Amino acid sequence: MASEFNNIIHSLIASTPSGEIKDVYKNLLVIAGEQAEDTILDSIAKYNVTNFIPIQVEGRSVIISNYNKEGSKFFDPVSSRLFSVNHLDRTAFDVNSCEKKLCETSESIHQDLESYTSKTFPGNVSYAVYPGDAPHDIVIAIVSTKYSPGNFWNGHWKSVYHYNLDTKQLKGVIDVNVHYYENGNVSFQCEKQVEDQSASNAVVSIKTLENELEKEMRASFTNLNEKEFKLLRRRLPVTRSKINWGKGVGTYRLGKDSAENQFR
Amino acid sequence: MSSFDAALDILRRLDPTKIEENLGQLIKLDPDLAEDLLASVDTPLQIKKDPHASQKEFLTCDYNRDIDSHRSPWSNRYVAELSPEDLAESPFPTESVRRTEELANESFDIYRDLYYEGGVSSVYLWDLGDDTDDFAGVVLLKKGSQSKSSWDAIHVFEALQNEGLSHWNYRVTTTIILHLENSSREMRLSGNLTRQTEKDVARPASVVEGSDALRVWHIANLGALVEEVESQMRIQLEVVYFDKTRDIFRELRDQTQASGASSRTAHQEVVKGLQGM
Repeated sequence: MASEFNNIIHSLIASTPSGEIKDVYKNLLVIAGEQAEDTILDSIAKYNVTNFIPIQVEGRSVIISNYNKEGSKFFDPVSSRLFSVNHLDRTAFDVNSCEKKLCETSESIHQDLESYTSKTFPGNVSYAVYPGDAPHDIVIAIVSTKYSPGNFWNGHWKSVYHYNLDTKQLKGVIDVNVHYYENGNVSFQCEKQVEDQSASNAVVSIKTLENELEKEMRASFTNLNEKEFKLLRRRLPVTRSKINWGKGVGTYRLGKDSAENQFR
Repeated sequence: MSSFDAALDILRRLDPTKIEENLGQLIKLDPDLAEDLLASVDTPLQIKKDPHASQKEFLTCDYNRDIDSHRSPWSNRYVAELSPEDLAESPFPTESVRRTEELANESFDIYRDLYYEGGVSSVYLWDLGDDTDDFAGVVLLKKGSQSKSSWDAIHVFEALQNEGLSHWNYRVTTTIILHLENSSREMRLSGNLTRQTEKDVARPASVVEGSDALRVWHIANLGALVEEVESQMRIQLEVVYFDKTRDIFRELRDQTQASGASSRTAHQEVVKGLQGM
C-alpha cells in the first residue's frame, strides 16, 4: 500500500508543469496530509534531476541532472562548486568549492552556448556542459523558462544533447511545454528527437536543429488550425446563417432528406 | 482550503491529456472526494451504442450514469441492462420532462448535423422537484476526426421560472475539451476552457404552460444559447490554442529576437511619443 501511495504521488508530480510544482505540492499536502510531505519532496527531487531543472547557486543558475550528481550533491564545473539542493525552492545550500572544472573543449562549447543562448532565448535561460556516460561523450543542456502565474501561464523549453567528441555525432531531444490556465487548462507539448551525424561544431548544429524545429512548429500550427480544427466544428452551418430554432428546426432535416432522395 | 478545492486546483494544472488517470489517482488518495470530483470535473465523453435503437450511438457522462450503465436518450433505457432490483432505484425523468428531452434530442441532432457534419449528440434532462416546472439538463456534442483530434462540448444548464411566471432564466456552464495533434505526434495542443452564460427570456402569452409549444420554446431558447456560446468559444479556443501559445513560445525562444527587440523598442518609442502629444 505504501508503495502504491508513493507511485501515485510520483505520477502526479511527474505530470506537473515545471513552473507549478510548488502549487501542486501545497495542494497535495491538503489532500494527503502532512505525513505525505517526505514522499512529495522525494518525488520533486527526482523530478528536478530528470527534468534538468536550474538551481540558484550563489547567484548563478546551474542545471542539475544525473550528469553532475555526486552522491546526494551536485557540482558546477564552471564555478567549481559542490552543493546540496533545496528541491522545493530550487536553491543551493552547503556550497563548497571542488576540483571540478570544464576541460578545454567543454570550455569552448560553453562559450559558444553563451553567445547562442543570449541572442535566441529571451526567457530565463540556463545552459550546461557536463561529462557524459563514455569518455568522449559530453552532455549539453539548454533550459529556458518564463513563468507568469499572475497571467495564468508558464512556459518551459528544454533541449538536451549527447555529443561524441570523437565521432562528432550529436543526438538530442527538444522538449517544449506551454501551459495556459485562465478559465481552463490548455497545454502545448512538443517533444522531438533530433540528430546530426557530423556536427563539427556542436553549437552551430544545435542552432540549426532548433531553428528547424521552430520552423516546423509554425507550419504545424497553421496545419492544426486550418485543417484539423476546421474539420471538428464549422464556424457557421452549411447554410451560412445561424439556425432558425423552434418549430422550424425540423425543416432542415426535411430539406436534407429531400436533397438526399434526389440522388437515390 | 478544502481537499476538494485542492484537487480541482491540481487538475487544472496537470497535463490535461491525462485527466482521467489523474482524477482516478486523486480519488485513490482521498476516496471521499469521489462523488464531488466525478460530478464536477469534465472528462472526454465516451460513446455507447443503443441496442434498442438500431445501435444508434449516444454519449455517456456522469449525468446519465447509474452504477456502470448509462441511459440512452433514444430509447430511454439503460445500457448495459440493469437488474430489475437496481432498475427500480434508477433515475428517470418524469413523463413531461422526458417528452421535452425527446424533442431536445431531435433538435440538437439537427444542430449537430449542421455544425459538425458528423459526430454524436445527446441531451439529458432531469426534474428539479415536484412543486416546480424548473428543470435542468446537459447538452453533449462530440466529434473526433480520423486523426487523433477531437472536440467535446458539455453544456450543463438549469431552466428556472422567475417569480411572476412570465420569465424563464437559463444558466449554462459550458466546457469544451479540444485535442489537436499533428500526424507525427510530436506536437499536441490539448485541454479545455469553461465559460458561464445566463439569459432571461419572457414567455409569450401564446405559449401555454404544459404544452408541446412550451417545450419547443424552451429548446429554441436553449438552442440559440448553446449555438451562441459555442461560436464564441470556438473563437476563444482559436485565440488561446494558437495565438496565445505562440506568443508564450516566443517568450522562451525567438530566433528573430535581436531584430525583434529593436523594433519593439522603436514601437514603444512611438507609443510614448503619441502619449506625450
